[in-house]
Amino acid sequence: MQVYLPIAEMSVDALLLLGIGFGVGWLSGLFGVGGGFLLTPLLILIGIPSAVAVGSGANQTLGASVSGLIAQWRRGNVDLRMGLVLLVGGFAGSLVGVQLFAWLRRAGQVDLAVAVFYVVVLGTVGALMVRESVGAILRRGKGRKTRLHEHFWIHGLPLKMRFRKSRLYISVIPPLAIGFAIGLLSAVMGVGGGFMLVPAMIYLLGMPTSVVIGTSLFQVVFVTANVTFLQAIQVGSVDVVLTLLLLAGGVVGAQFGAAMGGKLRGEETRALLGALVLSVAAALLWDLLSVPDQLFVIGPVP
Amino acid sequence: MTGRRLVLLLVPLLLLGLPGLAPAQVPPVAPVAPPSLAAELSTRRIEVTTAFAGGEILVFGATERLIHAGGDEVVVLATGPNAAIVVREKVQVLGLWINGPAARFNNVPSYWAMASTRPPPEMLADVERTELRLGVDLISLPQLGARGPQFRDALRDLKRADGLWADAVPMEVSGGRLFHARLPVPSTVATGEYRVQVLLVRAGRVVARQELSLDIVRVGTAARIADVARDMPMLYGIACILLAAFAGWLGSVLFRRG
Repeated sequence: MQVYLPIAEMSVDALLLLGIGFGVGWLSGLFGVGGGFLLTPLLILIGIPSAVAVGSGANQTLGASVSGLIAQWRRGNVDLRMGLVLLVGGFAGSLVGVQLFAWLRRAGQVDLAVAVFYVVVLGTVGALMVRESVGAILRRGKGRKTRLHEHFWIHGLPLKMRFRKSRLYISVIPPLAIGFAIGLLSAVMGVGGGFMLVPAMIYLLGMPTSVVIGTSLFQVVFVTANVTFLQAIQVGSVDVVLTLLLLAGGVVGAQFGAAMGGKLRGEETRALLGALVLSVAAALLWDLLSVPDQLFVIGPVP
Repeated sequence: MTGRRLVLLLVPLLLLGLPGLAPAQVPPVAPVAPPSLAAELSTRRIEVTTAFAGGEILVFGATERLIHAGGDEVVVLATGPNAAIVVREKVQVLGLWINGPAARFNNVPSYWAMASTRPPPEMLADVERTELRLGVDLISLPQLGARGPQFRDALRDLKRADGLWADAVPMEVSGGRLFHARLPVPSTVATGEYRVQVLLVRAGRVVARQELSLDIVRVGTAARIADVARDMPMLYGIACILLAAFAGWLGSVLFRRG
């Protein structure tokens, strides 16, 4: 069944979109991530223009994360103060990111920039995930010294603030900077950024795992909302029909994935997720390096 | 039987009329000659709905004389609204394929389709074909930015691959004088006013032409969404946020397991 996407100005098979939504939703439920980093490349792969894929991907991530945020909020797993500090950085980052995106679009380099961002970010994050989780699997059984959290020099920067729920008294500069970076990536890549935010909160900020998921969802929901809004105004590339079709498949898939994810152990899950992230990066890198089928591209004058 | 009855009826009438035979009483034969070309479109409006998966422009008509090579011949040319297009050449930089030099064409027909009873080069001289732009390579395309014919060729090839430019669409002739052509319209077609020219060629010259037009319009939900997104982007952005949030919440409530 063909469905016409009013902003992308093209017809796509609705079942294909529902299937992509379901698959990405399943994986995101399995691994507990938003899945935007898989969705946007897949949309580009089926011929959706990069700009529309990024704008609608951010919008879809918003929808996919809302129910998780509500659930975590009810359980009291959101550190609101930390979330708001991250969000201030995130809003600034996404604002800059959308300006960068609009500028790249005028220069005709959106496709390249999106692909390079994906290769670099996913390649780095995937490699770190695989290394960390494989290390954890190898260390298993051996005794490990546990501490509440480690202190780095960045925690000692000025403007200290108390985050009661995270049991932290640290400078606001690192969470602001992390929020900014995730907001920027969110705007350019159309992702929520949970897969980078969660490790950053654990390893850089030293937040307890119990509040990490809820607080990262808080940041993801509001930053993707901001990206959706700014992309709609400045680039005009959010396709709501595309978003809703992906969500329809996604929410169903996420429930199945979550049910299955409960059976996997943490380290294995992280290793698998890392491998998935790496393979997406490798596929996009291959696209950048191989000789393109068409040596010319056409597009509207931006 | 009916024929004979008709004659029987007519004879008295004629006899009655004969005595006063005057020019005024003979029904006047229309002095206008039958048109050498008559053409029409099956529809004057193509609606792009949310379920639009492409369509066609059906042009049909009749000629005065028989259609054959050397006799009457017909060319149909449909063009869509012009748009400004950038053609970018991919170049390899540090191993990566990136968008390099770009040429800009300000008035590119977003749609261009031609059907004819014979290939135009066989029926018209080059000068006339160029003047009428009867050929994909004869479209007037002033080029800005990067130089070189490769950009124009790429534009043509990519437009053809998208089904937006088509030459050599088959023209069907039936009954010797009736013609029709189905010009394919892909789903990526631009909205706006489309012009369809129908030319009658006789002995290497265009002797009659007819201009028709049709509108391709977005209707229904698709049209409203695109209009709101363009005219009220703030409202649209907020609506996107609320819709996605609501859909995500609703979905998790409906499909919650356990």
